[in-house]
Amino acid sequence: MTAYSAVLAAGLALLAVAAAADLVFGARRPRLLPVPYWLGAAASACLAVAGAAALAGRPVVLRVTGLLGSGTVGPAADRLSGLFLVIAFGAAFAVSLALASWAAGPGRPGRRGLGASYALALGAVAVVLTARDAFTFLFAWESLTLAFYLLSGFERARAGRPAAALVTLAFGRISGVLLLAGLLLLAGRSGSLTLTSLTHAAPGTLRSAAEVLLLAGFAAKVGLVPFQVWLPRGYSAAPGPARAVMAGVAVNVGFYGLWRTLALLGPPPAAVTGILLVLASLTAVLGIAHAAVQTGLQRVIAYSSVENTGLILAGFGVALVGAATRDRDLLAAGLLAATLQVVAHTAAKSLLFTSSARMEAVDGTDNLDRLRGSVRLRPWSGTGLAVGSLTLAGLPPTVGFVSEWFLLEALMQQFRVPGLGDRLVLAITGAAVALTAGFAGVTFVRLIGMVVLGKPGSPGGAVPRDYGLAGRAAIILLGAACLVTAALTPLEIRAIAAGLSPILPASATMGALKSPWVLQPVFADFSILSPSWLWLVMPALFLVTGLVAWAASGSRLLRVRRVPPWRSATAGVSGRASYTAFGFANPTRRVLAGVLHTRAEVRRIDGPRPGSETAVSAAQPAPGPPSPTSRQEELADNAVHVGYSSDVIEVVEEYLYRPILRPFLLLVRLAQRLQSGRLDAYLAYMLIALIAVLAVVTALH
Amino acid sequence: MWALRGLRNGVLTTRWPARPDDYAAATRGPATVLTALAGESVNLGGLCPTGAITREASGPLRLDQGRCIQCGRCVAARPDVFGWTSGPGSAVLARPALVVPPVDETADRLAAIRDDLRARTRALRRSVHLRHVDAGSDGTEEWEILALLNPVYDIHRLGIFLTASPRHADVLLVTGAGARGMTEPLRQTYEAMPYPKVVIAVGTDAVGGGLVSPSYATAGGVGDMVPVDVWLPGSPPSPFSILHALLLALGRVPVRAGSQR
Amino acid sequence: MPATTSAALAASVPELWDELTSEVAAGRRFADLFATTSPGGLLLTAHLASPAGITTREAMLPPGAAGYPALTPRLGAAFWYEREIHDLFGAIPEGHPRLEPLILTAAGDPPRPGAEVKPRSVNPDPGVLPSHVAGPGLFTIPHGPVRSGVMESIEYLVETPGEDIPHLNMRVFYKHRGIEKRFEGMTTADGLLLAERAEGIASVAHALAYCHALEQVAGTEVPRAAGLIRTVHAELERLACHLDVIVRLADGAGLAVATARFGWHKEQVLRLVSRLCGSRFGRGVVVPGGVSRHPLIGLGDLLAASGELDKRIAADSSLLMGTASFLDRLRRTGPLRPERAREHGALGPVGRASGYTDDARQSRPYDAYGSLAVRTASRPDGDAMARLEVRIDEIAQSFHLLRQAAGELAEAAAGPLLQPCDPADGRGIGWAEAPQGEVLYDIRVADRMIGRCRARSASFHNLVLMHEVFAGDILTDFPFIEASFGLSIAGVSS
Repeated sequence: MTAYSAVLAAGLALLAVAAAADLVFGARRPRLLPVPYWLGAAASACLAVAGAAALAGRPVVLRVTGLLGSGTVGPAADRLSGLFLVIAFGAAFAVSLALASWAAGPGRPGRRGLGASYALALGAVAVVLTARDAFTFLFAWESLTLAFYLLSGFERARAGRPAAALVTLAFGRISGVLLLAGLLLLAGRSGSLTLTSLTHAAPGTLRSAAEVLLLAGFAAKVGLVPFQVWLPRGYSAAPGPARAVMAGVAVNVGFYGLWRTLALLGPPPAAVTGILLVLASLTAVLGIAHAAVQTGLQRVIAYSSVENTGLILAGFGVALVGAATRDRDLLAAGLLAATLQVVAHTAAKSLLFTSSARMEAVDGTDNLDRLRGSVRLRPWSGTGLAVGSLTLAGLPPTVGFVSEWFLLEALMQQFRVPGLGDRLVLAITGAAVALTAGFAGVTFVRLIGMVVLGKPGSPGGAVPRDYGLAGRAAIILLGAACLVTAALTPLEIRAIAAGLSPILPASATMGALKSPWVLQPVFADFSILSPSWLWLVMPALFLVTGLVAWAASGSRLLRVRRVPPWRSATAGVSGRASYTAFGFANPTRRVLAGVLHTRAEVRRIDGPRPGSETAVSAAQPAPGPPSPTSRQEELADNAVHVGYSSDVIEVVEEYLYRPILRPFLLLVRLAQRLQSGRLDAYLAYMLIALIAVLAVVTALH
Repeated sequence: MWALRGLRNGVLTTRWPARPDDYAAATRGPATVLTALAGESVNLGGLCPTGAITREASGPLRLDQGRCIQCGRCVAARPDVFGWTSGPGSAVLARPALVVPPVDETADRLAAIRDDLRARTRALRRSVHLRHVDAGSDGTEEWEILALLNPVYDIHRLGIFLTASPRHADVLLVTGAGARGMTEPLRQTYEAMPYPKVVIAVGTDAVGGGLVSPSYATAGGVGDMVPVDVWLPGSPPSPFSILHALLLALGRVPVRAGSQR
Repeated sequence: MPATTSAALAASVPELWDELTSEVAAGRRFADLFATTSPGGLLLTAHLASPAGITTREAMLPPGAAGYPALTPRLGAAFWYEREIHDLFGAIPEGHPRLEPLILTAAGDPPRPGAEVKPRSVNPDPGVLPSHVAGPGLFTIPHGPVRSGVMESIEYLVETPGEDIPHLNMRVFYKHRGIEKRFEGMTTADGLLLAERAEGIASVAHALAYCHALEQVAGTEVPRAAGLIRTVHAELERLACHLDVIVRLADGAGLAVATARFGWHKEQVLRLVSRLCGSRFGRGVVVPGGVSRHPLIGLGDLLAASGELDKRIAADSSLLMGTASFLDRLRRTGPLRPERAREHGALGPVGRASGYTDDARQSRPYDAYGSLAVRTASRPDGDAMARLEVRIDEIAQSFHLLRQAAGELAEAAAGPLLQPCDPADGRGIGWAEAPQGEVLYDIRVADRMIGRCRARSASFHNLVLMHEVFAGDILTDFPFIEASFGLSIAGVSS
């Protein structure tokens, strides 16, 4: 066994130990609660190192057969697996540090099981990324679904969590079933379960159908329309930074699967590519439309995952078009854009969910209006939130800007594609991506402006403390990944080129480097960007401007007279007097009313307001004749008030799933009759199933 | 369509102050005392509703233009003693300078104040932004200030602009008799303006309280609320007078030798 | 001028309210409600308007009573009147839906017009400020009192969920100058000067209403020539105000050329007025008993200048009413429902644009209006466009009246301009149609000095309707709605 294979094995072993430690000690010794996460951090480091080695071309193979869950061939990492191992477990390392810090804090999990679910999730991710035969792959996939179910259902006492866990499980099973069907079809064709042998399946409708099933299964994992309804619920339901494990680390297995399908089976039929592109643009627009109008912080971030899925799959769609038309440069451009967006999304989403883990209001809600001015109370979380938001909004000089630039440039190459249908679909997708980028700006400005900045309301109680040392290290690491990686994009592209070599030669992807520090969208003479230079020039501009201002002001630049902000000299109002997070999203609700099906209502409320925020300056009413002040307030409180409410609905859920839910539940009730609880009935079922299988097998041979 | 309509009547803008303007020269300013000698024969009872006309112990009449609401009663009663000033030059840099006939001591003080104001507004001379605050006016001063924006006066040609935010403003125009409800908003507006700033009290109400004062709800002019640099009487002052006051504040009015203003 | 019936004293305040509600149900318009401190207690006076004239009803509140049953639940138009009485006198209307300080926010002794005592200077007390909290899902944007642009001081509290305006509140106490208390103790000549400055842009109308009240006390008949000169100045003032509204609307819509041209027309009107009488706002012309002097320019010049203005303004107005982008901002913006306008008795162009036509020049003619043909402009829609159309019609109407008056003046110029009018004691009621609507004065004279002078401007009556005209409008419609009302805050807060 080579050195790096040992590292890989060590990583998996550490994860097993972590799960065991959590199950054994659990909540009995609170001081030992962070131990599984420390072990997980070490494991992530090992796995990331192994992935880097695989990316560099070193052999990383584990020869284990006959163990539980292993098939005919043991796990091994080739370059593509190595690339995704580095991405996923680089983020997992930081997230594990944050989890360790969080578990030691006041929000610690109340009972054992979270660490074990976390270790199971990471282990399943590692095995999926390194699986080399279908059985191992599917086993690890189902384990991941189980881990997701356990993670999202961990806090089952809180409202809505059990339902969310159930939905997560359901969609995880749907993706598992689709993958099972696809893989088995291909295995039947090619005669072996090994993944590499699936390439040799005979071309035809069955192979195309299998490929479509595989693509659909992976798409369900990452949340493409119409499978995106579980993402917001599932992600929000998990506790604390475990959301980052689900949304930032584990979601990459879906993208890995898509990349691997392209590597093994080549492009699907053209119609499927077209449908994929259309769905990707729908996903992006729907995701950002909902993210822009949500009232809860976790929901905003979760819907942003949906949007990013759309963006990544748009890039992937471009790659598929390139593969189908045998245009290597287009394939490279699309895959590079998609992979860059995967990197950006992993870093930013992990950072966002890590930072928001500490952001709960005193009453436990994550309502945006109650979380104003977080950067004062929780500076580290607030800064992390700001950096993550800037990255996902695609603002320079973050890595999100680079990836979105690449994506738009790749989509702009549509004029090089020969077929009119492809060109049309690519153009529509390009327009949708641009629209998404605009609304992403609005969404994240709302987060930064309302949650991070702004005047904090009175805490009124115990405020959750910010992260400890480990958590701060995690936020620094992830923030650096968002910011500094942009300056080092050429190195990143080199690594990605190496990682994509099973799909296309590295030299094609390296065509994105026009010169050592200048990038182009693989096609020459189209457009250039240099984030490295941007990282030098932007701070320099600030510095120069500051120096000029200081010199021109005669060194009086810092002599400042402070006056309150200008508000047209109003006498003041008590209560909210500036834009709330709800109000800021109102124009978006109106503009996108078609997508969101907004319903707004203004109603008059007579009499005293329930739960009103009366004037803070209320003097205590003295006994005796009422003073004018209290009488005014009493009269004002009893006046007529106007209330406003606005609701949006999720169109896919409302119009696709709810109608089929009723007949489905009817079917379930019918099927429940089979669950009679009698042993002889079950034995009879097993006998019938066995006879049926035997009959089918005999008939086929 | 509107573009062509705008060209229909040619150039409407006055050339004042570069060239003389007939309407400007005919502008009626506050009343003034034509001759101080006939002081003893004037019966002051019921003559001036705001009490602007007083008689000093030694006999000469004094008329405080800062309290003149241009009602014309004194001019109608004794046209030999009282008359109207005409022309736009009624603004002054110190409150005592509004008392006519002028007292000698004010001349040197005025020169010092004028130089100080010129030094302060050196940076504002060619481009200045105005902010207006209504501290209890009757509505006419606002019309006259807004008239500066119409094509006849067009203050933009002089580099003077109106701005909405006091953060961008250099000159504060205050109208109104100093309603007490506006004490705090006026103070906030003044504080919100960066230095260097100039305050112009526009109208007799702002200078001396007008006919509305004394009242329980006014402060008798805005002099106590903000430090005023230029006092402009008139009820209301015509747009040419306001323009003259602005140019005086910016030091762009050519000073005639031996002139008080 | 039609005579007014003498004031009828009801036995008690509830009986007064019964009489008022039955009169309003019978078709009369509620015109005014105010109080006076008198030896017998607090005298509540109400005015009702009808084509026959102004009817007065009064009731006395005994000295010890701290409050009285409110009129507002029965007659919504009294909403702000009762708040004003509460601010100035301290009497509490029980059952009033929202008794917050309207024009005075000071704790301590109220000024009490009619009482001999001179109140000490009041300083606004932030402690008694109405605490305004928006309902659920809404937040409040405070706009004012120092607003963007050269505008009078008033604060609007816009309750909004983020784009729409479901609700609007106003704070009008910033500009309160204590005019009603200032009138007391003045001579009638000084009182005229103060009346001109109560609402400066309607100086002539206020002076007319004041003089009509005094002429009623003294029983003076105004000579024909004086009536015609008064009419000329009143119509020129109406022109200036309506042109100002058009300037503000065009400015809000960003039509630079239209703003400039109408600004030029307004400047020409003001210069014409100053050439006629020496003051750009027509001050010093109207005196009790007639006018102070002949016009300073010849009638031929007046007719020529007004004819040219008429042609230019008509051409520009027709172009303005053909500019689709401009009309788009006004159509269906700020609609005032006709039944609401009728219920409230909305005055001036605001009421006439909602179908409620009550023009004092036509219903209760004064000066020369009885002989001149006054046609009332009206529209049924009630939105900002209707208010603009009504004003454009009234501009054309004003030029027509000007020509008629100037023509008749040529014949009547030889007559006297002034009849002696120096009442010593008595009480009179005078009105005039200002550009904003009807102005109503109720003056008590004692010993040639003013004992109590109530000046009710149309702006005070109409501004409360701003609460109700926001139906589906967004924040950017606000300047149009405010400009289309065309009111003067000086008249509201006096």
